[in-house]
Amino acid sequence: MRVPYEWLKEFVDIEYPPEAVIDRLTMIGLEVEAVEHADDDVVFEVNVTPNRPDCLSLIGIARELSAAYGMPLKFPDHNVVAGKRELDFNVDIIEPKLCHRYAGRIVRNVSVKPSPEWLRKRLEKCGIRSINNIVDVTNYVLLEFGHPLHAFDLGTLRGKIIRVGTPKGVNGSSKAAVKTLDGAEREVSGDTLLIWDSERPVAIAGVMGGHDTEVKETTNDVFIESAYFDPVSIRRTSKALGLKTESSYRFERGTDIKGLKKALDRAALLMKEVADGTIYGKIDIYPKRYFPAEVNVRYERINRILGLKLTKREIHNYLKGLCLEITEEGRSGFKLKPPAFRRDITMEADVIEEIARHYGYDRIPSELPRAVMGVDVQKADIRGQKVKNTVKESLLNAGFTEVINYSFMGVQDIELLGIGAEDERRNLIRIRNPLREEESFMRTTLIPSLIRNLLHNLAHGNRDLRLFEMAKVFISTASNPLPDEREHFAVLYYKEKVKSLYKENVSDFYIVKGVVEAILNDLRIYNYSFARSKEPFLHPGQSADIFLGGSKAGYIGALSPEMIDSLQIKAQKPSVIVVEMDINRLISYIVQDIKYKPLPKYPYVERDTAIVVDSSLEASRITGYLKSYSSDLIEDIAIFDVYQGGNIAEGKKSITFNVRYRSSDRTLTDEEVDVLHKSLVDYILDKTNGQSRQ
Amino acid sequence: MIEDLKQTFLDELKSVGNLADLSNLRVKYLGKKGIITSHVKSLSTISPSERPLFGKKINEIKQFIEQECNVKESFLKDEELKNKLLSEVIDITLPGKFIAPGIEHPLNKTLSEVVDIFIRMGFSVEEGPEVELDWYNFEALNIPRDHPARDMQDTFYINEDVVLRTHTSPVQVRVMEKRKPPLRFIAPGKVYRCDADISHTPMFHQVEGLMVDRDITFSNLKGVLITFLRQMFGADLSVRFRPSFFPFTEPSAEVDIGCIFCGGVGCRICKGSGWLEILGAGMVNPKVFEKVGYDTEAYTGFAFGMGIERIAMLKYSIDDIRLFFENDIRFLRQF
Repeated sequence: MRVPYEWLKEFVDIEYPPEAVIDRLTMIGLEVEAVEHADDDVVFEVNVTPNRPDCLSLIGIARELSAAYGMPLKFPDHNVVAGKRELDFNVDIIEPKLCHRYAGRIVRNVSVKPSPEWLRKRLEKCGIRSINNIVDVTNYVLLEFGHPLHAFDLGTLRGKIIRVGTPKGVNGSSKAAVKTLDGAEREVSGDTLLIWDSERPVAIAGVMGGHDTEVKETTNDVFIESAYFDPVSIRRTSKALGLKTESSYRFERGTDIKGLKKALDRAALLMKEVADGTIYGKIDIYPKRYFPAEVNVRYERINRILGLKLTKREIHNYLKGLCLEITEEGRSGFKLKPPAFRRDITMEADVIEEIARHYGYDRIPSELPRAVMGVDVQKADIRGQKVKNTVKESLLNAGFTEVINYSFMGVQDIELLGIGAEDERRNLIRIRNPLREEESFMRTTLIPSLIRNLLHNLAHGNRDLRLFEMAKVFISTASNPLPDEREHFAVLYYKEKVKSLYKENVSDFYIVKGVVEAILNDLRIYNYSFARSKEPFLHPGQSADIFLGGSKAGYIGALSPEMIDSLQIKAQKPSVIVVEMDINRLISYIVQDIKYKPLPKYPYVERDTAIVVDSSLEASRITGYLKSYSSDLIEDIAIFDVYQGGNIAEGKKSITFNVRYRSSDRTLTDEEVDVLHKSLVDYILDKTNGQSRQ
Repeated sequence: MIEDLKQTFLDELKSVGNLADLSNLRVKYLGKKGIITSHVKSLSTISPSERPLFGKKINEIKQFIEQECNVKESFLKDEELKNKLLSEVIDITLPGKFIAPGIEHPLNKTLSEVVDIFIRMGFSVEEGPEVELDWYNFEALNIPRDHPARDMQDTFYINEDVVLRTHTSPVQVRVMEKRKPPLRFIAPGKVYRCDADISHTPMFHQVEGLMVDRDITFSNLKGVLITFLRQMFGADLSVRFRPSFFPFTEPSAEVDIGCIFCGGVGCRICKGSGWLEILGAGMVNPKVFEKVGYDTEAYTGFAFGMGIERIAMLKYSIDDIRLFFENDIRFLRQF
């Protein structure tokens, strides 16, 4: 709401400079968002919250200032002295539920012309374009009183009647067509409240007038409408038509049903003044009377909520300034009847806010609460947060930088990944009104976002990328209106093969796999394993599903060459390693209790053995066999060398492992370890169909 | 002749340059068939009158040689170590091989700071779904359908009854449904509104807070928030509360902090006002308590909510919110 300072001063005798008024308005809840200096005036841009439609007017804002400064509020002249009676015009409210009151006045013999300068200027300062003197008067009064008015060209209204109703209510039809004064032909639904003459709709009630009945140069007589329309009905119409006007904005927030007569008469007087019109009689149909509910307020409660010690007298003073009338006074409290322009006040808390506003929030002392100590969180919640923190810290320590992406993706992302029809990542949650086509679904995997981050960074010359994200994915389920929200973490590793000072011959896959293993160990999860993955977007030879217990909780792998090709990454043999895991699944595999084991008393004996096996045999098979070999004396096993080529036959590889033997109750002799080790090696050779390497 | 022996030894010792030569020299003189040893053996051939004197001399020379050899040996050992160390010198000015630690996203960094302050004040941390029922996001928070207050938030709809939560406030209702007062928690998380420009992104982060107990007052709301803001922005920060409107609080407040860029004088960032809007708050509207079945007479409470992007932008002087979600590592590495 734009408020010219000079105009505002017509309604309350402010003795303060604009800066002081701006501050005061802001501190009573009418935030001045911007200030504009125009001519010799200052225009305040006041941010009026949706609960205060009364302040969408100069008088409303002046009323607040009059309460704040303790100065009287002055109304502009609105007393029509001699309205001639006009009996042969009728108003018929067909649906009183949607139109609680309808008043109108006829002003005859107006001369429609451009407005005088003072009127034009004031409208312009408020951001309203001048049309002609009659239309301008309705807008001027709208700004003064906050009540929307509409002026019809009386000569174009047929049948000397105004009817108020929906197409359904008026003639049972499910829609109607209205040409509005902006020239648009609009079709409205059967539930839309319209204004009709005897034959046709002439305006969309509360939203916009009709083209055929608007006031123009040829207009002689005017019918001014001042009505109260049901806010919800106006809001629905405005939304359905995508049409938001000064009028609809106020009606949908609630206008002053009692004050609408003042606005009507004020407009008639101004039309007489600027258009030489003759004011005729008034019509006022008020089928649905407004009775504000009384609000009970307790003194003790006011002070208890605010943390103050206000006296009865102070409280009464604040209320009086705001025109909140006390109807019944008791020892511990009072009854209050809010005026019709304050429909936002319906309960005690609303009154408490009024008192606090004018007492001043800044004067309310600040005091920390006294509270009972205690930790009131379910254990699982804390565990979830701890797991997230641990995963994050492991990744940060391993050199991965955190990214945050929008939770959206497009169906083309799923297509790009080649995710199959049966995959649950196809159970997408669709947004009805996305901002962009590529953002019309909630993510079911974090990988597409990370790939976008990779491409963005490559395009900007950032060639060494370790990225991770922790966020929810959303899987639609048939049984629940809300999707299954799962906390995931995903990793992307890309390092261009650049010349580097220190040689490192570890493949990228193992670097990232090491990071995953470090996370699991950090979390004290040991029951995990890796098995070849079938994820369609990963390199079939360089990818693994990550299993916790016996079920898949994620995957790791290099993006497939086809993916890399389609992404058009310009590098020689680019290798992009990605990981995605479900964080919540980790929680149940964490080894919770740490139990101390005594340190060994006797020395260990080690044996290294190299065996030659088929090159397709996976190392995990060998460790599996080693672990499954039953002996209490094997303490630890580790593979420490894998070798192909040289004197190893084609299609074979050499694997060297170390076994550490120890007894808990004696020192082992070399001889018994030799026997034990030989039988272990024989077992492995038998299982793997291998040969021992000389 | 025996006097010459000493001189000869010293000359030979001088030319010894390593431990192997020294060991040979030692053998030459002191070995089983060494010069000194053979002299000792020849003692019997010397006349008894000269024997004691000769014997004494030989012994002297023997001790002298042993001592000289030892001195030389320790000298050579030092020398050898020195040479070894010298040969192992590396260029210590080359950079070390290290993995630069990763960097937490500036939004999460800011979020953790906020969360930590409230945890220190005894608040717990709660979460709620990001895809939310209209009921929790609006209705239960006293924002009915067809109410203009819905215009305050541009909503992404999944269907008639399901939305992307537009704020973290629905967590208030979800927690109150599950638990009885006293309550003291914050709820951080992602929220969504369909809006995108230099200061709006369709997804952003909020932290919600709620405290409910007997006798919680507006003074308490001020106490907690001022304490938080001064921890976050500095002990002498000025804070002001002014009336505002949120359907789920009554009275409602907007909280401003003195502009941290100009110190309150007025600048471009605070649009000349000297104040920066930082969070919204208020006393819980009794209508919300009624929706979750709390006794509105027995309990009062306050709620607050703040945008993390706003705080991070102020803290790091970032002028375009979209930078947070572009994830350019040249940006991320600065934090």
